[in-house]
Amino acid sequence: MSAVGQPSSGRRAFLARTAGVASLLLAGLVAGRAWAHDPAGDIPRLPNGKPDFSGIWQTTSAADYDLEPHGARKDAPPGPGVVEGGFIPYLPEALEKRRWNFENRHTADPRLKCWTLGTPRGIYYPEPFQIFHRERDLTIVFQFGHSVRTIHTNGTKHPAEGGNEFWLGDSRGHWEGDTLVVDVTDFGDQTWLDRSGNYHSTELHVVERWRFLDANTIEYHATLEDPKVFSRPWSLSVLLHRHREKNFQLIENYCFTLDYDEYYPLPAGSMPK
Amino acid sequence: MNTRRDSLTAVTAAVLAAVFLAPGLLCAQQTGAPPAATTGGIQRETKIIPIASGEWTGPRLRDGQPDVQGHWSNTIANHNNLTDPQGGIPGDPAARPLGPRELRAPSRVTDPPDGQVPFQPWAREKQQELLRFFHNPIRPEYIEPLARCAPAGVPKSFTWHGFEIRQYPGYVLLLFNSGTRIIHLDDKPHLPENIKLWNADSRGRWEGNTLIVDVRNNNAKARFARTGEFASENVHIEERYIFSNDGKRFNYVATITDPTVYTRPWTITIPVRRYTEEDEPDGWHFEVAYANHDGPERIIERYERICVENNGPFGNVAVTGR
Repeated sequence: MSAVGQPSSGRRAFLARTAGVASLLLAGLVAGRAWAHDPAGDIPRLPNGKPDFSGIWQTTSAADYDLEPHGARKDAPPGPGVVEGGFIPYLPEALEKRRWNFENRHTADPRLKCWTLGTPRGIYYPEPFQIFHRERDLTIVFQFGHSVRTIHTNGTKHPAEGGNEFWLGDSRGHWEGDTLVVDVTDFGDQTWLDRSGNYHSTELHVVERWRFLDANTIEYHATLEDPKVFSRPWSLSVLLHRHREKNFQLIENYCFTLDYDEYYPLPAGSMPK
Repeated sequence: MNTRRDSLTAVTAAVLAAVFLAPGLLCAQQTGAPPAATTGGIQRETKIIPIASGEWTGPRLRDGQPDVQGHWSNTIANHNNLTDPQGGIPGDPAARPLGPRELRAPSRVTDPPDGQVPFQPWAREKQQELLRFFHNPIRPEYIEPLARCAPAGVPKSFTWHGFEIRQYPGYVLLLFNSGTRIIHLDDKPHLPENIKLWNADSRGRWEGNTLIVDVRNNNAKARFARTGEFASENVHIEERYIFSNDGKRFNYVATITDPTVYTRPWTITIPVRRYTEEDEPDGWHFEVAYANHDGPERIIERYERICVENNGPFGNVAVTGR
């Protein structure tokens, strides 16, 4: 959403062109996937035969800057948007907070405090994350803040006592063929969906679909519903690329320590060189 | 069971904050009194049970690693005091008199034999200064970084709450109450030397029942205990996690070398025990919940750890205090 208003006519044309190109590319990808996956074979698999998402992943999209189509801004490269249908269907009464968030994004975005990004934002934030995959669960370690999310795939359910306000939600996954489907509930309302101020309430419910397009590419799809903020469920999709650089690893980024770490181990001048 | 676990840590932190701020409770917590029951308080074994390095006869994972996955916590005390772990924090204005030293657990420093960190004179003086002002932190550096939600670092994380080990081909993952370590089991080189990290950069290998980890790139910002022991960013740590073949215990034995701060390498030993479905979650050593599922068996789950976002550290002013 450009400055939370309607796109200008020039921009609208640009967006339409971009969307057209994007859908052509998408069609190509879909077609490519169809034959690359038939017969299913050349993707990493766990001993139980399910896809093995272990690896270090990152999107190249501009999703975290703004999920919706947007031209260049001083604080964001342009992007065609990753929302199916273009824009997020806010309830009319939810737009005011959205507008306030956008206008105050340079101070109010929780990422600026290095707070846990939440779900799904952590997945398309422009820093790598690593998936450690066992049959019973997936552990996602995000470089940003080094926060840790567990997706349970052992048949367990959301906590019996609902209404937990987790920062990353409570994630329970199951397999539909080679697609990992994750139901995520029990959210707090302090995380944003991107740095342009798209947001949600504690009523957020996310259904993720993770699947390999090829051994080094995951298609990540998330449907978000939140009856307090959105008029209907909506979906976003990004591609996640495997980091294959030689010796690539996460470098912990406990950025919330940066305001005080100058005092440790000892203040400057207290320690011999 | 309350599963409002945004809050498990926050609740624990709140309790600790109370402990930290309330002299009476502080006293009870830190003067070596045994816990009232096994489900409450901090473990207070007084002996380190030796475990020899040798063959591993226990279960293995598909990549050949000894299977040591699960929940663990130290058996002796928390991070209050490095050289007298059950002795509380010296200078605590609310401390009660301690009994004879020999009735408490030995120093976590197992070499040199005197149980003291072999500080260079300037560093000893600094450590004493940090300790002296621990209860009266009039300067930013007197506030322990963990109290601001920083990772507890290497090796203090092993004395701060329980932790979980998860293993994967090529990796051992350590999930602590405050911070996470990824131990790489391949031979990729360490990160460039100028990159310094709270939880350092770890390269490990298994020899029989022992996981040996080379720890470099340590920013040394996380101290070793509330008693102020510290290293510099030149520190090099070699860790040995020696697991007993019954799978119930391991001893963490780390040799710490730093010519900037010490006169010689020294060794810290932290005994650790396993927690299983047989144990009741206690909010400190065993911070887990049981999963909601249809089967009769208990399945242990760990919930997310959140600190700074929930204003969780003890003494909330410490978060922004500069």
